[in-house]
Amino acid sequence: MTWPALRRSLIRVGAMAAKETIHVRRDPRTLALALAMPVVMLVLFGYGVSTDVDHLRLAVADQDDSQASRALVRAFQGSGEFLVVTHRAPEQAEALFRAGDAAAALVVPRGYASDLAQGRRTTVQLLVDGADAMIANQLLAKADAIVRAESRRLAGLEALRQELPLRLRLWTLYNPAGRSALYMVPGISAFLLAITAVMLTALAIAGEWERGSMEQLFASPVGRLEIVLGKLLPYLALGLLELQLVVAFGAVAFDLPMLGSLPLLFLVGLLFLVGMLGQGLLISVLAKNQLVATQAGTLSAMLPAIILSGMIFPIENMPLPLQLLSRLIPSRYLVHSLRGILLKGNGLAVLWPDLLALAAFAAVIVTLATARFKRRVA
Amino acid sequence: MTGAPSAIVARDLSRRFGAFTAVDRVSFEVEQGEIFGYLGANGAGKSTTIRMLIGLLAPTGGAATVAGHDVATAPDAVKASIGYMSQKFSLYLDLPVMENLLFFGAAYGLSGQALRRRAEELLERVDLAGQGGVTTGDLPGGLRQRLALASSLLHRPRLVFLDEPTAGVDPVARRVFWRLIRELAAEGTTVFVTTHYLDEAEYCRRIGLMVDGKLVALDTPEGLKRTWVPDRVLVARGRGLTGAAGALRRAPGVKAVAPFGAALHVRVDAARLDAPAVAAVLAAAGAVAPEVEEAAPSLEDVFLAVVDRATPEVAP
Repeated sequence: MTWPALRRSLIRVGAMAAKETIHVRRDPRTLALALAMPVVMLVLFGYGVSTDVDHLRLAVADQDDSQASRALVRAFQGSGEFLVVTHRAPEQAEALFRAGDAAAALVVPRGYASDLAQGRRTTVQLLVDGADAMIANQLLAKADAIVRAESRRLAGLEALRQELPLRLRLWTLYNPAGRSALYMVPGISAFLLAITAVMLTALAIAGEWERGSMEQLFASPVGRLEIVLGKLLPYLALGLLELQLVVAFGAVAFDLPMLGSLPLLFLVGLLFLVGMLGQGLLISVLAKNQLVATQAGTLSAMLPAIILSGMIFPIENMPLPLQLLSRLIPSRYLVHSLRGILLKGNGLAVLWPDLLALAAFAAVIVTLATARFKRRVA
Repeated sequence: MTGAPSAIVARDLSRRFGAFTAVDRVSFEVEQGEIFGYLGANGAGKSTTIRMLIGLLAPTGGAATVAGHDVATAPDAVKASIGYMSQKFSLYLDLPVMENLLFFGAAYGLSGQALRRRAEELLERVDLAGQGGVTTGDLPGGLRQRLALASSLLHRPRLVFLDEPTAGVDPVARRVFWRLIRELAAEGTTVFVTTHYLDEAEYCRRIGLMVDGKLVALDTPEGLKRTWVPDRVLVARGRGLTGAAGALRRAPGVKAVAPFGAALHVRVDAARLDAPAVAAVLAAAGAVAPEVEEAAPSLEDVFLAVVDRATPEVAP
């Protein structure tokens, strides 16, 4: 290609991109979709859809009502995990569960204090509402930890001397507090980037068909690739801005760490975005009207990003066919590498397969979309 | 050399979509600087012809040269040397007027100050000077149409294609638009225009008429009228015409009687009847003081005659 021809081509791509930027600037809905939605979603998912369980309502039936039993109840209360709602007889616990007033009931038997004072083993009962398995599991683990701590306190120095032969020492890395926000934010970014990138391009290009301006563009010397490039560049920039926003908001609101390299984060984001923009392009080329493009865009971007990306449901727990299917979903690679970069400080040495997969998806889908784009016009 | 080469040359240009032939062996030439009108009912093949001539659609048969370039082998060269205003209004309504012009200018490879100056110049030319900052969607239809014309002229094409440029525009705006078209032609720009407003077609130097994918007539407006409407057309005015129309229809030498507003259009064999004779028939049939005068045949008469004759006996 000669220099003047290349220069004209660059002018055309630049003009397309500039025009698209004006469209976005003048359309508050697009901007809101791209920039306000991430923040809203982060707040919703980060705070609302928390899988952490605390302030569980605990009914206490203290039949002993001694200094020792009150100490045990205080231990439950003081942990911050339980909220002691009421003192009732054990028979009333089921009624409380049914009414949803308590997630568990603690029963301290008569003679608790005297058994302890005489050095006998004693038992307290915990009734648990198993209807919500996730809450019940966490509740059991927490109650177990509290009772063990209390039992160590009671045993005192004696226990320290009688060390058990085997002990498991747990050390949780990367997300020591087990906070779901840290785990969710990278997942949400994938979801948000996917949906805005696919939707915006699908809408932008389907809009040109619907308006009839696509024919005007084809009648001018603007080439197909120039249209595609000019259309995608502004949304690529918008997507990267969004990624930045999500990570920054995560850092401020949820203390999301940023242990890895920022350029690597953007490289991963860029590869993912190109793939998503290509997907939007393909949808709009096939749909040619904004309504269909919106629906196809939402479905094809949102569902895999939520269900198959590992954002919420661990991929390891999926049946094999779904695990294999998830390998075709770019969100999966983005979620994995974002978690790696943000929480673990992983570098290229670990993440190169993710990058490779993202690049391959982007290359295939953009090629496919451009080819279809050509065939639409005879 | 006998003057400038033709701006458009079409030879047996055809386009089939599967079994359906949208354009069937159409041949014509358009000279540099002429306003060439392309007429036909919806679906007659006008838009398909234009789409082939501007390099959007590959012909399936025949050949065409536009601005010296072959549409089948060099569509990009064709696109760069012509202006095109499509049937569907296709400016960006959410963009300001000036941004639309700058965008389409850049699409043709213009840039910088030269483009901006050219855009200002065209805004002035289409009476939109000083409106560069207005959002395009806020302009009334007639002004948008002129803006669309301006955006197709940015790169100074010697040939412009206008596909139904005045569809849905009010009569005053249509007149202004046609003044612009005539000015363009006067400067030597060739204008290829489709329309289904037959009054507008009178402005064209030559007219091609399409029926069912075939070019069935091609001449100046006067030539078309002479060839296709050899009969005398009379206009009768007065009271009680409706009652008298039946008797007039039965009179020898009367070929057709059609109501035309409050008047009657009467087509008669020129050799057998004239205006006074028709007036006499009407008066005898009960019309009060009928006035009958000779009218020039309109292109509408031509169009109806052409469609009439072409439809039942299309050559296989």
